[in-house]
This record gives sequence, structure tokens and C-alpha cells, in this order.
Amino acid sequence: MTLDHSLVEELMSANALGGLDDDDTALLLRERAAHGDCAECRVIETGFAETAGRLAFALTPVPIDDSMIDRILASPREEPLAPVAATAADPSDELSERRARLPRAWQALAAAAAVAAVLFVSVGTLARSTTTVNLVSSSQRVVAFEGSNAEATLAMAYTPGEPGAVFWGSGLRDPGAGLVYEIWMIEDGEATSGGCVTPTDGVIALAVDASIGSSEAMAVTSESSDCPASPTGPVVFSADLNTVL
Amino acid sequence: MGAVEVPETRDRDLIERLLDGDEDAFRGLFHRYAPSAKALAQRVVRQPHLAEEIVQEAFTAVWKDPGAYDGQRGSVRSWLMGMVHHRAVDLVRREEAHRRRVEAAIPQALEEEADHADEVVEQLAAPDERRIVRAALADLPDEQRRVLEMMYFDGLSQSQIAEKTGIPLGTVKSRTLLGMRRMRGALAEVER
Repeated sequence: MTLDHSLVEELMSANALGGLDDDDTALLLRERAAHGDCAECRVIETGFAETAGRLAFALTPVPIDDSMIDRILASPREEPLAPVAATAADPSDELSERRARLPRAWQALAAAAAVAAVLFVSVGTLARSTTTVNLVSSSQRVVAFEGSNAEATLAMAYTPGEPGAVFWGSGLRDPGAGLVYEIWMIEDGEATSGGCVTPTDGVIALAVDASIGSSEAMAVTSESSDCPASPTGPVVFSADLNTVL
Repeated sequence: MGAVEVPETRDRDLIERLLDGDEDAFRGLFHRYAPSAKALAQRVVRQPHLAEEIVQEAFTAVWKDPGAYDGQRGSVRSWLMGMVHHRAVDLVRREEAHRRRVEAAIPQALEEEADHADEVVEQLAAPDERRIVRAALADLPDEQRRVLEMMYFDGLSQSQIAEKTGIPLGTVKSRTLLGMRRMRGALAEVER
């Protein structure tokens, strides 16, 4: 099936400039999820992002104090991320501790999500299309998100009709200084925040109380650390829940 | 407009070296792009000290995790400016007071930019790139260029632009798309 990209292109042109309003941001998230692993979408998005980035050079440069370099170089660097397969297949004690810190009600779901992460890695993936795997019980679902970073995996475990969900990811990059990842539930074009999280050593383990309910799609964006009420940053992961089996 | 050498290969080499913690590579990247990054941040947030903070945040992120750069998603320079712009817009959207400052300052700011067009500090950073982008912007129809400038340099959303200018929102959206398509084509043409 050939998808129409006219709406996506219009939304992405404004998104690259930082000019989307909240409702259009939610619409873009939904469209992105609906298009799934879409090569043309990536070409459009990359092309507009490149164009927008270059607009900055129209401005006259402003001298900047060289001492800033030394202040930056004095800050500690990130340790390289552990290989994804090793992280997922052989969870460390630290990860076990992190799971143990999750609210008790979510521990079973967290375990299911971790199993799902192993499954995804073991088949050499983040699956390029949204996938569901039934685990533990037939009512529980695990959804794999799509993302532009092929080394990263992100899965969500939830039970339809019941509040809450657990997110489990590995191989994620640090979102950068002052930034976090924010999870969004999208329904009727409205994006509702499911919370913010920063990966530790590339790993996310997060239980949220928000109800997935009848959300049509999920998305994860990069946002400022104050966790804004509406999405403004680029989409890092997305999942179309309507395609879940 | 003739073709010019784009220093993208050199930038990617610097990123590669940064992955190994090469401080000279960081200095090279900083000297080339930090002045333009500060100009962008300052234009959006309108306060030099906040602009400096944004630039420092963005370049600190580069230093700490240069592996975050994905060569398949564009050039190093656009990646850097995207980080700065994202932070700057995020900041001003959180500041209601900023909206009022922009309303008062927009006409003056646009004029100021035009006045400074001849004052390019060629030795500071990326002079070829600046010439190319300015030429591409100048070639845009006025109404498209104005929408792009208000959105990118002033941090306004499409509905804010519609409200401020009295142009229907649908027209703002179509001008955004047409302007961006045209800019993308013009900049790509120069690269060939």
C-alpha cells in the first residue's frame, strides 16, 4: 500500500523549524506511528532537518569566550554503551536492582518486558514493524517501538483495559545535557504525557500509572528536563497500537 | 551561485576523533560552529547570557556523547544547530514573558538583521556557508521568507504567526511548506 506523504511533509516542514503547535505535534506523532518504518518519511524528515539547521548560518556569528571550551572539556565524558545483546541477554545486577525498585504491582510486567527485550534482540531486531508478543497471560501485551537508532530497543508491556504500563529499553543514547525522553499516549490527535525518563547506561526501566486506555499510538520524544505538558522535541520512538494483533 | 567545498567530511572526521576523546578535535568543532550557534541562540532567546548557557549545554552534550551524532540523519553542522535551536525554542516557549518581548522586538530584529548583513565576520566561522544560506533565503518570495524567519529565528509557532500577521493559519502552513521545499532545493543545488 502506498501511503500519502503530503500531510507528513507539511507537518515535518514546520516541525523542523520548531513551529508546530501542540495539536499538530500530536498529529505528526500519530502520522509517524501510522506510517511505521517509512523510508520516505525519514528522507523527508532528514531533508527538512538539514535545511532548518543550515538556516542558522544566515545569522552573523557572535564571538564567544574561549574559556567555555575549558569548562566543557572539564566535564566528565560518557562511558561507551555496553553492547545491546549482552545487556539484554545477560541482565546485570544493577538492572535487577532497578527492577526491584519498581512498584511491586509492576514487577511482573517489568519481567515480561525484559523477556520481550531479549526476544527482540535474539531475532536480531528492533523489529522494523510494530510487533506484539503475548507473554504470561493472553491478556497482556508487549509492544516493540520503532526507532531511528538501530542499536536501541524499547518495549512496552501493558494489559488492555487496566491502568499502567511498563517500559523497558536498552542501548538508548543519553538524550543530552538538560534533556530527557518523554513518553506520549496519543488518542484523537491529543498527546498525553506518560512521564519522563533518562536512561542510565543506556537502559530504561519505567513504570507509569497513566492508562494506555484506547490510545491509538505511542511516541517518545526528546524534551527539556522540565518534562513539558506538550511534545516539542523530535520523535525518537513510535508505535502504532492499532496494528497490534 | 557557484559550487563550494562543503567541510562536511572534515566535520565527520572531527566527530570520529571526538569519539576517542580528542580535545583538539573538540576545539576545532567549537571554533567553527560555536559563534554561529551563539548567534542562533541569542536571536531566539534574545538574552546573551541565556544564549551562552544554551551553547555550553549543547557543546557539552557533544563532548560527552559524540556518538549521538547519526551521519544518516544529516550533516554535523545541522545536527549541532538543531540541538541549539531545540533548546532555545524550548526555553522561550516556557517563558510567557518572552512572547511579549518578541511582539515588541520582531520588526526591529528583522531590520537589525538586514542592517548587519554587510558586517559578516568572515574569519569567525563558516563564511561560505553563510553566503550560500543568505543567498538562498534572499531568493525566497518575501511572504515565505518572513514565515520561515518568524518561526525559526523568533521561535513562534504557526498559530502565533497567523495571529500576529493576520494571515490565515492554512496560508501560514502552506508558506512554510513551500518555503522549506524551496530552501531545501536551493541548498541541495549548491552542494552538487
